[in-house]
Amino acid sequence: MMRALRFTIATAFLIAVPWIVAATVPGQQRYVLHVLIFTALYGALALSYDLVVGHVGSLSLAHPAFFGIGAYTAALLATEARWPFAAALPAGIAMAGLVALAVGVPMFRLTEHSFAMGTLGFALVAQIVATNWVDFTRGPLCVTGIPKPQLGSLRIATLPGFYWTGLAAVGLVGLLYHGLTTFRLGRAFHAVRDNETLASAASIDPLKYRMLAFVIGGAVAGGVGTLYVSYVGVLCPGELAVSLSVNLLVMLFLGGVGSLRGVLVGSVAFTALPEILRMAPTWRMVIYGLLLLIIVIRAPDGLEGVIRRRSRA
Amino acid sequence: MSDLLEQLLHGLTLGSLYAMVATGLALMFGVVRLINFAHGEFYMLGGYAFWYAYAELGLPYPVAGLAAAAAMGVFGLAYERGVIRTILARTWHVQLIATLATSITLTNLAILVFGTQPKEVPTTLSSTIVDLGGVRMAWQRPLVLVAAVIIFAGLEWFVTRAKLGKAMRAMSQNREACAVVGVDVQRVALATFGLSAALAGGAAALVSPLFNIFPDVGALLTLKAFAAVIVGGFGYVKGAIAAAFLIGLAESLAAGYVSYAYKDAIAFVFMVAVLLVRPQGLFGRRIGI
Repeated sequence: MMRALRFTIATAFLIAVPWIVAATVPGQQRYVLHVLIFTALYGALALSYDLVVGHVGSLSLAHPAFFGIGAYTAALLATEARWPFAAALPAGIAMAGLVALAVGVPMFRLTEHSFAMGTLGFALVAQIVATNWVDFTRGPLCVTGIPKPQLGSLRIATLPGFYWTGLAAVGLVGLLYHGLTTFRLGRAFHAVRDNETLASAASIDPLKYRMLAFVIGGAVAGGVGTLYVSYVGVLCPGELAVSLSVNLLVMLFLGGVGSLRGVLVGSVAFTALPEILRMAPTWRMVIYGLLLLIIVIRAPDGLEGVIRRRSRA
Repeated sequence: MSDLLEQLLHGLTLGSLYAMVATGLALMFGVVRLINFAHGEFYMLGGYAFWYAYAELGLPYPVAGLAAAAAMGVFGLAYERGVIRTILARTWHVQLIATLATSITLTNLAILVFGTQPKEVPTTLSSTIVDLGGVRMAWQRPLVLVAAVIIFAGLEWFVTRAKLGKAMRAMSQNREACAVVGVDVQRVALATFGLSAALAGGAAALVSPLFNIFPDVGALLTLKAFAAVIVGGFGYVKGAIAAAFLIGLAESLAAGYVSYAYKDAIAFVFMVAVLLVRPQGLFGRRIGI
């Protein structure tokens, strides 16, 4: 009862944010909403990444590629073929999922470090292709003029509109994440992560569950990519940069790997922190790198670990 | 014909570079079972150390090269003490993310300190052209090849004859047994990181006059060197060296005859192809440096 009430209040609060922001910081309304939209999209992306890293324990570095494949699919379909958003979004999701399936088959022959390095290689190749296949992706000239989403008569073009879209996206991905990681399927994921040999002895095929998490994670990343380009309106090959994996890893480890609340806390802290500190991008990456190094050595369960220790004490 | 020879020679230069970086990776993996994602950044820092010693301080080329290798050796020791020692007992996830975090930090620090503009360090050898049977090339290229051969011969002598080298080989076979018979395993691990980093620094001093130095040269280099380590059979140094030359030649031929823009994808495609056919690597054995 208490939980349901708290959940309803929190949801109502999150939905009311655009009005609260308008009332409290009228001058900076656009900027604050922009940061919040990025936070929501990053949150959804981090959750999809955590399905692979946190739940089946495969350290994939290919996530920027899936994000980019979804983004490019939707962007090119919307600009070149004039597909409506309602068709481009599923196309982006499906394309990213299919590529994840095709890449997963050879990649999962690799284990541990080799898997990480193989997926990193795939991410680098994806960026090389996006940069050099100028006839198709427009390369460094970027895909521009990507239309705002239109669902029937509803056109999402305002900042509050995108905020609610982002909120809905992170909510849906959160539900999916919860559903996939909690019940029998979730226990199978964790069995594969914690003890592969024991899992296969209990007739839980590690490859099957790893592939499942990898493909769903990739497809969701593609969906987030689709939303991202329809919000920003421009897509450049730099969006597929390997540094996106590092950002996602910081969010996961800062918040708490393998925990819904942890990952969300991590993405809020990650996107809010640099905005508050107003750092230059290069300094930002130096600090993220050091932060990741310190967290992973000193506090591998992140803020979620701190919250849990607090609530137990 | 001379075009083909030129591509092959270029491939051998690339192969020497990849082999020196891959050797360091394979040594580290052999001795402490850890993949150093920051290894390409060691090469990058070595390049800047060489640039500083040669172009800024004006030291003669051999001195500047040795200084770069020595500086990176010291850096490798500090890295082992500061980062690696704290994560050796942890899971491979933690190790991988920690070394990846180091790599990102070093790359962006280099951008802050040196800027994104590539540094060119032409030497007398790299600007003097030699004509070898119709193939014209800079003297630096044969120098790289000869130096690589000397370095690998020295390394072979080191791991088969020298006490420390033998200890490294022993540790790659059985760490516990080494500790039991009184090998100072921590010191051997420390020395391995110093040696591997010095190799990366030496490689940078050798090839920087040919290729420019820039902050994010490391990521692709780590990937290619790692591809060589996997293709060569994990932790088997000679296999990694052979595979590195194969990758260098394949890349150079692909750049010349297929597509320059996609040459960097070659190492990766090659690695995946080999792994599909031979998951244990081309020269896979079970264990040992």
